[in-house]
Amino acid sequence: MTVAPDSATPARTPVPVPETSGSVAGHPEADAAPRAVQERASAPVVIDVRNLGVKYSLRFTKKTTLRQSMANLFRRDGGPTEFWALRNVDFKLVHGESLAVIGPNGAGKSTLLQVLAGIITPSEGDIDVRGAISSLLTLGAGFDQDLTGRENIWLAGAFMGVPHSEMARRIEPIISFADIGIFIDAPIKTYSSGMRARLGFSIATSVDPDILLLDEVLATGDEVFRAKSKQRVLDLVHAAKAIVLVTHDMNWVTEFCNRAMLLEKGHVIAEGAPADVVKLHVEHSREARARKAAEIAAIGGAPITR
Amino acid sequence: MTTPETAVESTREVAFRSSATRPGSVGLIRQGWAEIWSRRRLIGYLARADLKKKGADTLFGNLWWIIDPLLQMLVYVVLVDFIFQRSVPDYPLFIFCAILPWKWFTSSVYDAVTSVVGQERLIKQIHFPKLILPVASTTAAVANFVFGLIPLFALLLLFFRDRASWHVVFIPVIAVVQFAFTIAFCTLVASVNVFFRDIGNVVRHFMRLWFYLSPGLYSLAALDDQMKNNPLVAAAVQLNPWTWIFESYRNVIYSDLFPYWYQLGVVFLLSIVFFALSTLLFKRLEPSFAKVL
Repeated sequence: MTVAPDSATPARTPVPVPETSGSVAGHPEADAAPRAVQERASAPVVIDVRNLGVKYSLRFTKKTTLRQSMANLFRRDGGPTEFWALRNVDFKLVHGESLAVIGPNGAGKSTLLQVLAGIITPSEGDIDVRGAISSLLTLGAGFDQDLTGRENIWLAGAFMGVPHSEMARRIEPIISFADIGIFIDAPIKTYSSGMRARLGFSIATSVDPDILLLDEVLATGDEVFRAKSKQRVLDLVHAAKAIVLVTHDMNWVTEFCNRAMLLEKGHVIAEGAPADVVKLHVEHSREARARKAAEIAAIGGAPITR
Repeated sequence: MTTPETAVESTREVAFRSSATRPGSVGLIRQGWAEIWSRRRLIGYLARADLKKKGADTLFGNLWWIIDPLLQMLVYVVLVDFIFQRSVPDYPLFIFCAILPWKWFTSSVYDAVTSVVGQERLIKQIHFPKLILPVASTTAAVANFVFGLIPLFALLLLFFRDRASWHVVFIPVIAVVQFAFTIAFCTLVASVNVFFRDIGNVVRHFMRLWFYLSPGLYSLAALDDQMKNNPLVAAAVQLNPWTWIFESYRNVIYSDLFPYWYQLGVVFLLSIVFFALSTLLFKRLEPSFAKVL
């Protein structure tokens, strides 16, 4: 397996996908992982990302007032005014694949999910997504505090673009899974944080998506609900035609995914079999930790020389 | 764009495309207006939720929409009738013809300013057309006007019965023109406020000035001398949409006359153009909302 020498260069080398994925055989939950990798060439493409780049303008990020932006306009003290959260990202996901996106903090993993979910529009390149997408990025976001739980379910459905008739069918299962009793007709502001999280999870997972986007959502609610929700996510993983998962938990990568992608500083560093990519990621983060430790030692010991 | 309407059970054929190359100006306007139409149910939910919240947390609830314009009328009557001694016959009704539409306009604009910024968390987590946010807040504000009609008709029937005429049937027509102008203006301020959070303050003062410069507290005839002497003033008054909206309301409610049909028609057409342009601006800025918020 070859790897781009410098994390800053956009070049990357795809790791050949082996016949069998690197999942732990015989593990009770591992059966989700070995999807038919052999079919890759012939299977229909569900996500097609071409030369994707996402740029943030630092001039306008964070709450600006007229005065500040006037000041920014006249300030020419250099410094970067833009920042590429993702650059030159290319990949295809075919039917039946589950892709894990790993990398250090700030590598652009969450930005990638947001782009796939349509929340952020690319600054360059295009993406094509074929199939209904569901992102579990939405747990309890944007609940209206003054509306009841039931009203919020309708509102969330309308925001997600679920047709009214389908929502009418889903509402009872959502309520029963969230298990918040008579509170469903009380305003959200009277809910405990656990109830709020349960309702959010229940709404977000009520869809039967073709493509599932997951961003580490399993730490929700109490012990009982966590077990229940893990089973729900597993069901979704089984049912979905394709999955993109962002996680720091390497067990998830090797258990549930048959491909992995390593992102660093917005660039794809490696892509291929989960076991290999995880190994590389572990090496890289060990190096990064060592570098940081050395830096701290230098700062602590002698005057800073950078 | 995801089109949920085409969903057929679980085997749906939804294609979604997101690209750095976006449609041209006409395409963006068409896309924006199609989004408003296809998400009309969501707009309805949001508007209803908005109304429910406004009524829920005050002592008199929605009764304020009736009391508020009456109190404001009282303030102006005291100021103009008693202090300035500028007597206009039936001044309370005269001034109410301006207060009612103006209150509707200002509440629409103030709500619209925060309509996009207020949904920050949703915008960062769900993909949906953001244009529906100012449209929903503007739609909800219509209730403000509808409730205000109650004290208007009460005034007409109880105190100014001799002024009441069948011409009031034209109120909805004038209201449609006003709505077209309002929604265009609201879409504009909602998008700009994402980038400049203090636009609300600017707008507040700008609107106060706008009200005093429009023939609301006084009649258009009161401006005759100035308009004759200064062509610039004349042009400004003629171009101000509020000149014709106020005067038309006053014609049908106070003066037993027809609205200014021709001028209202022009205001309506220009408002549609204005809405197209503010939709375009909104759609151009929309991709950066999730990043800036």
